[in-house]
Amino acid sequence: MAPEPPLLSMSGITKSFPGVRALDGVDLDVQAGEVHCLLGQNGAGKSTLIKVLAGAHQPDDGTIRWRGEPVTLRSPIAAMRLGIATIYQELDLVEHLSVAENVHLGHEPTAAGFVVRGKAARTSTGGLLKRLGHPEIDPTRLVGELSAAQQQIVSMARALSHDVRLIVMDEPSAALDPDEVDNLFRIVGDLTADGVAVVYISHRLEEIRRIGDRVTVLKDGRAVAGGLPAKTTPTRDVVALMTGRDVEYVFPERPVGEPEAAPVLQVRGLARDGEFAPLDLDLRPGEIVGLAGLVGSGRSEILETIYGARRPTAGRVTVEGRTLRPGSVRSAVRAGLGLAPEERKAQALLMLESVTRNVSVSSLSRFSRAGWVDRRAERAAARAAVRELSLRPDNPDVPVRTLSGGNQQKAVLARWLLRGCRVLLLDEPTRGVDVGARAELYAVVRRLADEGLAVLLVSSEVPEVLGLADRVLVLREGRVVHTAPARELDEHRVLDLVMEGSPAS
Amino acid sequence: MSHLTSRRGLLFGTAAVSAGALLTACTSNETDDGKAAANERPAADDKPGKHVTIGFAGPQADHGWLNAINDNAKSRAKKYADVSLEITEGSNDTAQQIGQIETLINKNVDVLVVLPADGKALTQVGLKAMRAGIPVVNLDRIFNSAQAYRCWIGGDNYGMGLNAGRYIGEKLKDKPDARVVELAGLDNLELTKQRTQGFDDALKNYPNIKKVARQAAEFTVESGQSKMAQLLQAQSKFDALWNHDDDQGVGALRAIQQAGRNDFLMVGGAGALAAFQAIKQDDGVLKATVLYPPTMAASAIDLARALGQGKGVGGLAEFEIPASITLYSAVVDKTNVDQYMSTGFR
Amino acid sequence: MTQPVSPPRDTAGKIGPAGRPATWRSLSARADVRTLSLLGVLAALVVIGGVTKPDEFLDTRNLQLVLTQASVIGVVTVGMTFVITSGGIDLSVGAIVALASVWATTVATQEYGFAGILFTAMVVGLGCGLVNGVLIAYGGMVPFIATLAMLASARGLALQITDGKTQIVTIDSVLRLGERDSYVLGVPPLVIVFAIVTIVGWLLLNRTTFGRRTVAVGGNSEAARLAGIDVRRQRLYLYLLSGLCCGIAAFLLIVLSGSGQNTNGNLYELDAIAAAIIGGTLLSGGRGTVTGSVLGVLIFTTITNIFALNNLQSDVQQIAKGAIIVAAVLVQRRTARTA
Repeated sequence: MAPEPPLLSMSGITKSFPGVRALDGVDLDVQAGEVHCLLGQNGAGKSTLIKVLAGAHQPDDGTIRWRGEPVTLRSPIAAMRLGIATIYQELDLVEHLSVAENVHLGHEPTAAGFVVRGKAARTSTGGLLKRLGHPEIDPTRLVGELSAAQQQIVSMARALSHDVRLIVMDEPSAALDPDEVDNLFRIVGDLTADGVAVVYISHRLEEIRRIGDRVTVLKDGRAVAGGLPAKTTPTRDVVALMTGRDVEYVFPERPVGEPEAAPVLQVRGLARDGEFAPLDLDLRPGEIVGLAGLVGSGRSEILETIYGARRPTAGRVTVEGRTLRPGSVRSAVRAGLGLAPEERKAQALLMLESVTRNVSVSSLSRFSRAGWVDRRAERAAARAAVRELSLRPDNPDVPVRTLSGGNQQKAVLARWLLRGCRVLLLDEPTRGVDVGARAELYAVVRRLADEGLAVLLVSSEVPEVLGLADRVLVLREGRVVHTAPARELDEHRVLDLVMEGSPAS
Repeated sequence: MSHLTSRRGLLFGTAAVSAGALLTACTSNETDDGKAAANERPAADDKPGKHVTIGFAGPQADHGWLNAINDNAKSRAKKYADVSLEITEGSNDTAQQIGQIETLINKNVDVLVVLPADGKALTQVGLKAMRAGIPVVNLDRIFNSAQAYRCWIGGDNYGMGLNAGRYIGEKLKDKPDARVVELAGLDNLELTKQRTQGFDDALKNYPNIKKVARQAAEFTVESGQSKMAQLLQAQSKFDALWNHDDDQGVGALRAIQQAGRNDFLMVGGAGALAAFQAIKQDDGVLKATVLYPPTMAASAIDLARALGQGKGVGGLAEFEIPASITLYSAVVDKTNVDQYMSTGFR
Repeated sequence: MTQPVSPPRDTAGKIGPAGRPATWRSLSARADVRTLSLLGVLAALVVIGGVTKPDEFLDTRNLQLVLTQASVIGVVTVGMTFVITSGGIDLSVGAIVALASVWATTVATQEYGFAGILFTAMVVGLGCGLVNGVLIAYGGMVPFIATLAMLASARGLALQITDGKTQIVTIDSVLRLGERDSYVLGVPPLVIVFAIVTIVGWLLLNRTTFGRRTVAVGGNSEAARLAGIDVRRQRLYLYLLSGLCCGIAAFLLIVLSGSGQNTNGNLYELDAIAAAIIGGTLLSGGRGTVTGSVLGVLIFTTITNIFALNNLQSDVQQIAKGAIIVAAVLVQRRTARTA
């Protein structure tokens, strides 16, 4: 390490919100040109720490030094002036503006101080996108028309449009496909080669191993380990630091033998033009079937079409012999289907409401007579469902937004459990769920299957599909290219199939 | 005493009639048209002359008085064989009204009668018409520039307040420490300020009378009821009420009835038929109303016709019609109400 | 330029000092804080009124007056609260009140007497609500635009029906309802209707599946749809409900003013929205409170009353109204934060 002071040095950072101490004396040193990874479970304080670093939160205590000089990051603009840029997980782009306008938002190149020089903005944006390995993104396109991965590139271009010395990336790979992730890592490599420091937040240990230099682990608002070597610290140690347990992915045991019961869900020739080709699928009670494929392979679209949230262009869905009305969620729900969608906050949860009300929303008629809700019965049933899934805290009256990602997911599962659903459609069930909680969620899903539920699982994490499902359908460009029992597949084989699409041999 | 005051009222009534007579030809040809709400006496010579096309643009008739304006103009024009009236759809939107008037200019009407939604905003289009050689009769809401009209005819808001104040003053002049309250119209209109000013100025002549409260309603029944109810609660005792507008007076009377009060006299404004009827019946608090006559629209048609035919006003020595005519705000009470009944608007 | 994600403003989700999430008890206590702060504002107004005009303000007749004046806009606001809670808006309430009040007071309608007036007011209100609801729920129109269109057309139709004239009610039984001898134990019938609408509204929002669905649609309509709720039908019902409230309000206004006029209900939409927002209903939907809305209406009516009793003019009244809106919202946010 150079004898000069580190680029950024935070020490003793403390930040309290009413009733909770989010950060409790956290230290963090970042050297120029390094990739410093920040690890920790949800609620460990990562978000608060990067918001302090971005100038969005003011710490109650502690000092921040920039190149050895004490600084106060009074506002996001102050942080930006120093050269600190943050790329948030939930992208903050303006959908109705073009790529170039987004990149230069707030610091548009101007003539005479106020006339926006659109051409200059487009040219420089084009240059930035090229540097990021995405020359194909047209600076004049509206951001809303871009894919999630492309939007992330735009967000990064925006960071680079400033004279940036330190970039904070909050789970940048979450929405990316493997080859996109490779490109991301190349960009990170280029940046660090130029002496830019990167603070990298991820749940994925293998990524941290690939690109990280050092790791700081947060737990309950404290830095439990600072500056560990990223490549050599054993996984077991890191997980232990984060969770106090030494587990990573632990999948529950599969039941022995094939399920014999008649299929509860039958999909015949279901298709949506431009999204996925005609699909046949049988799902038996007690069975977990996984759909593996890249982003854009039609995975989520298939789930949503089965569920009636999208109207199929062909085919039909039958549940226990009853054909569902195409494009009708209500028909699907009545027949016993339940969906835990990918975007939990946007598509499933009523964030202002309690757990009880989130759980009961699909079963209101069960607790009501002539429209009158029996709140005692409702609460008791919600409590029972919450207990059964060991949702923490086990109080169903807390607002659902105070729960961690894993427990929010359990609240969604509890909704369908309460409804008495027969077929559960899971779309990226562990997105935003931290490592410790995943194992528990897997166990819950398996237990529900053992109790007779049929589960259709979509995940972009191949190990998850292989570990949890009994049977796997591999998708490529909207088409099933391979079907096999999960135990006959491995990660390599699946990745080959989704990328090469070589027919099953 | 009461004899004296009623004589005084009669005096004002007479003054109003004579003011009207000043404008009218001496011939008084009463027709029993029934529909025509207007006073039938023409302002100008009514001998047939060359044919005149009159363009008429007014605001949206969303109020009884404005509705009466339209009726008066229409029925008056129908009376003349030598007049055809081009009337536009009433609009409160300044831009739309400008467009309508420009259309009338393009149609090359002979004379324009304009009651602007907003006098200031429509000055330009008035100028435009005048420059195009079309004389403009500006009705009631006055343009910014005297060049924008050939003749202005309208009511006297200050005079309304003045006459209401005088009427009440005469009724209460012998009562020590008399208290009056005012239920004003929409406060962001200049005419409301003028009516209040006139009222206050008149009361200055009666040192025993004090205005103890004033609230502004919005020319609507609903607001009249609401504001009057509050006024009645605020003032447990007063001797007279001056209400700017008979439409909101419907609501005010309702509030008075609901509060069970009858210990004061009420003077209204504008001249609605319902008010006239109540005055005639004389079984409630409403004893008089001060005119803001919608017959001015009929007079405006007469003036426009005279302009189109190059005539003057009968009864005046001049060859030309006047540049500006301010109507008298007569007080209508029980003594003269019958005479005005036919001009009352719904 | 990354815009920082602001921390959750609302405090209902705070973690307790022991690291345990807030309990139900403190959650309900916080809901009360909102109501309490409104009651505090109302109490402060009562003190101001009582100090400035002790004889006129602190008087049974004045209480009757304030509550009566609050009834019409209050009923409209209860309906508006549901619509806003569902994430919508109804700009047409004032126009619907106007249309219903004039339709119900035409000579032809008055021939059918009390029942004819009541029935017509309700049906016109429901009819307008139905059009709003169909356009929004099934026509995919934005509520702002659909109800703005309804505002224009209903006002136009009201004008056409009346020809700008005030329609006087001649049915004695209707008129008597607005007069002192109809008071039940000192309570005006209008106030009784307002109270019933408030109670029914509260129960509907807080105790029924209809209320739950309303909140769910407003909180997250996509989640509600995927949870199996018929979002479109719910939206239709909500605008019908708002229309019905307008019909009831129109009837109350007919009783109160003894007439129907096309200018009735002027700017009710803004008053109702303001009262609901002050009350604590989220303009973005997902949270609504009938109690808060009614308190908001009472605060506004009391202010108007105090100003009128003190003979302050409408310019001062309007300024004060604006200031009160800002102050009430700020006070609420502060109490919510420190609770």
